[in-house]
Amino acid sequence: MATRAPDRLAAVPPDGPVRSRHRLRRHLVHQLDVKGSPYAYVAPFFLLFSAFGLFPLAYTAWVSLHEWTLLSDEHTFVGLDNFRALLADDYFWNATFNTLSIGVLSTAPQLLLAIWLAHLLNRPLRAQTFFRVTLLLPNVTSVVAVVVIFSQLFGRDFGVINWMLGWFGVDGVAWNEGVATSHVAISVMIMWRWTGYNALIFLAAMQAVPRELYEAATLDGASGATQLRKITIPMIRPTIIFVVITSTIGAMQVLAEPLLFGTYSISGGPDRQYQTLSLLIYENFTKLDFGYASAISWMMFVFIVLVAGVNYLLTRRAKGGLT
Amino acid sequence: MRKLRHRFLAPMVAVSALAVSLAACGGDGGGTAGSSASASQPGEKIKLTVALFSDFHYAPLYEAFKKTHPNVEIVERRSQFNDHHTNLITQLTTGAGAADVVAVEGGYIGAFTPVPDKFYNLKDYGLERRKSEYLDWKWQLGVSNDGSSLMGLGTDVGGLAMCYRPDLFKKAGLPADRDEVSALWPTWDAYIETGKKFVAAKVAGAKFTDGPGEHFRAMVEQAPVGFYDDQYKIVAGTNPEVRKAYDMSVKIVDEGLSAKLAAFTPPWNTGIAKGTFATMVCPAWKTGTIKDQKPGEGAWDIAAVPGGGGNQGGTHLMLPKQGKHPKEAAELIDLLTNKESQIMLFKEASALPSLPALYDDPAVADYVNPYFGNAPIGKIFTSAAKALKPQHVGPKAGDVLLAFNNGLQRVEQGKQNAEEAWTQALKDVGRIK
Amino acid sequence: MSARTAAPAARRPRTTVPAARRSRSGAARRLTYLTLTAVAFFSALPLYYSVVVASRDNAALADVPPPLLPGGNLFANIARVFDTVPFALAMLNSVLVSGSIAIAVMFLSTLAGFAFAKLRFRGRNVLLVLTVATMMVPAQLGIIPLYMLMVKLEWTGTMYALIAPALINAFGVFFMTQYLSRALPTELLEAGRVDGCTTWGLFWHVVLPAARPAAAVLGMLTFMSAWNDYFWPLVVLTPEDPTVQVALSTLASGYVNDYVLGLAGTTLGTLPLVAVFALLGKQIIGGIMQGAVKG
Repeated sequence: MATRAPDRLAAVPPDGPVRSRHRLRRHLVHQLDVKGSPYAYVAPFFLLFSAFGLFPLAYTAWVSLHEWTLLSDEHTFVGLDNFRALLADDYFWNATFNTLSIGVLSTAPQLLLAIWLAHLLNRPLRAQTFFRVTLLLPNVTSVVAVVVIFSQLFGRDFGVINWMLGWFGVDGVAWNEGVATSHVAISVMIMWRWTGYNALIFLAAMQAVPRELYEAATLDGASGATQLRKITIPMIRPTIIFVVITSTIGAMQVLAEPLLFGTYSISGGPDRQYQTLSLLIYENFTKLDFGYASAISWMMFVFIVLVAGVNYLLTRRAKGGLT
Repeated sequence: MRKLRHRFLAPMVAVSALAVSLAACGGDGGGTAGSSASASQPGEKIKLTVALFSDFHYAPLYEAFKKTHPNVEIVERRSQFNDHHTNLITQLTTGAGAADVVAVEGGYIGAFTPVPDKFYNLKDYGLERRKSEYLDWKWQLGVSNDGSSLMGLGTDVGGLAMCYRPDLFKKAGLPADRDEVSALWPTWDAYIETGKKFVAAKVAGAKFTDGPGEHFRAMVEQAPVGFYDDQYKIVAGTNPEVRKAYDMSVKIVDEGLSAKLAAFTPPWNTGIAKGTFATMVCPAWKTGTIKDQKPGEGAWDIAAVPGGGGNQGGTHLMLPKQGKHPKEAAELIDLLTNKESQIMLFKEASALPSLPALYDDPAVADYVNPYFGNAPIGKIFTSAAKALKPQHVGPKAGDVLLAFNNGLQRVEQGKQNAEEAWTQALKDVGRIK
Repeated sequence: MSARTAAPAARRPRTTVPAARRSRSGAARRLTYLTLTAVAFFSALPLYYSVVVASRDNAALADVPPPLLPGGNLFANIARVFDTVPFALAMLNSVLVSGSIAIAVMFLSTLAGFAFAKLRFRGRNVLLVLTVATMMVPAQLGIIPLYMLMVKLEWTGTMYALIAPALINAFGVFFMTQYLSRALPTELLEAGRVDGCTTWGLFWHVVLPAARPAAAVLGMLTFMSAWNDYFWPLVVLTPEDPTVQVALSTLASGYVNDYVLGLAGTTLGTLPLVAVFALLGKQIIGGIMQGAVKG
């Protein structure tokens, strides 16, 4: 994906004139090395995934074809019944909508902000280590602290945000009640947790952009913003694609934030106004309906592949014009 | 990388009632202790693990047990409340990892009583003899749905009361003394009438109560039949008692009595500390929650619950079949739940005993709590527990309750009227398998 | 052995001052600092606030306006944490688990990333797409089958159950692939080949040094997430032999809402990470700068 591999490597000729038998053996070893070692290098990942990833996946697929209640030893094969029920289930489509809505609201501004922050940090600054370290703090702050803080921020009666809105004559917004308000509040939580994390990934990529390009651009009188647009973004395109894909996957699977925001309401609010797909899986899991929960998670898998694929194509096209 | 960490699992979990209705571990075998799995020789070293969801203050009791069982080593595991129960479900499902003795709380016990084959039958270890000591309803909670197996012995109960703020009552011109307050609301109707008077007095910054959810639960549990009938079939939609409780709860909202705060959320905690509501339904253990929020000594007081008695929470000790030493484990839970232990635990941990004989014991009956204006909490909570009649708690009672609570919240938030919310709640109940 | 010398030579001399700096006006620079300070402030606020609450009592949570300065109960609350859970053992386990995972992920991801980015082999693109696809598998439902697997391996209750499945992940492979395909000059590898390096030699002498900055970031992110991982350890470990997160989970237990104890514990569990950042931050994060490779 978007990696330009230099395929010449394998074609590098064996060195120097040597005696033929020795040469043949060396040649064979070399061939084996060049042809075989790539597989050896990627093998650990696939071995580990086969051991610990594939079995759960297959097992879940099997479970999704059954009426399967946790604790009970009776599992009735029902074919695609769970999937059929799912496609007719309002709550499933409601959760799909919420997931997409929260995903867009949180991911798009988050990535723009992260690129901008990385750009600001990608230059000599006083106390830059300090600034970079603080970027990661939201990601290591405990969930307990996050719950306490954000319920104080978004509280209806004593919340800081409502207190500030009060200056503009807006009173007592119940953030958790409405669809839009709850999605905004949850997106803010997600952005707060993950922007710095992604900024650091962008920053690592920006470090690899040759300085000469900036120097030349500066001599030509290009502004910081122009340099960001014309040099940085095209040069780190693979990383942008990478972050878009991982963030999309993360957003599609979001669970912690809506769960915490609703203080453990597994239905995502009384009217399911912020129940995401993960939360719906979770709800069915806690109701011990393992079969239905497995079916939802397989549908979710399909959605993630679709959404990540679309995002991948969009990112490639949008940035294509800049290169 | 971006593994999502979920810290809290949902509060209520349950299983299909009729899925496993035949007992796997046979009939009443009163005196066959030690016959099956426990083949340990005297003197052989045995390790018993005890899995709890908080500090039950059992340490001195373990020491006492070791005096008679010098070969037994006891290791205690403590986990967070919801994690503890969902982990137990995982362990029972996969057949490995469960402790020898597990604590199961009242909100979860209905999930396990349909599957007696996953636990040892305590009758096989002679514990049926304890039956006469117990509150009847508490004992019944530990019996499997098909009646064949004694699955758990009760520890504490969560007798119900109504906590209230004397300062706010005074401001509203209502009596503030706890006996007079109790006299205000013999019934839930009277409770709501009191609430109307409170609202009419327009006390600044305070509602009459936190929200209707816990009230609804209390009313349903006071009824002879709740969400399930005696065949463990869900009757929530047809049982007039449920509808009555629902209508009463809607009234709490309609009359403007509710502060719209769901229990156990941070804003609710703040409300306890700052007194933004004047009453809340209060099981014995909630006194600890109140104290934790530091509202100040005497800020909250305790009166009787309307409708006469009630219970929320309370725990059973059970022995998963995975354990290797059921005989010793059974002897341990016998000790942990006996009279002396329950008295000790009441004093140490405010765990309300489940043995009614103890309710006349001066240590319990005369106990007053200075933090709650010297309220005689021993007397208040035990009379609530005594007044309760046994009710069949179904396997998914927690999920049913959640469906109605969500409905009440939709009414509270103005998203639906009472009838729409009721219809949708029944629809949600209908989805419960 | 030109490959050996080539890698360090590729680093940007430290003395070079990017032209960008010279051209920036004072106002723009002030705006940069202002923005970064604001970001730092909001990033650190909740952690700071946990310290404030952890050093007080639950009443502080209800105060309006909220207290701004730490109170005097921090050490008493921390002592309560140590009384309640085996915190020292948990710390040791967490360091062991997170450390071995981070090192393994750094090394194995760089290896796989090198193969995907710079080596030609049949099925490469398919395998890379597969790798990315594995990330899309929803994590939630893996728990029960994975637990069954650990029961079979008899690893429940041990640290193997945490370390083994985490030794390498798709995120790391993808991350290193992306980085190396850009940042590692092909000429450098060709030069290494000419010098007679085997593929492994190339990896060791050329790729590893060039991968260092990104691997450091990856290692840090991996360490963080392993340290904070909660759900799986909670299922598979026992509270007798816990990691930090498992130990902390027992603090907020039972019927009681003791946020102070919870926050004191989590602050205690987070501070080691923050200390590592602060002490090694210059080496780890600052190292990105020095390690940058010319394209």
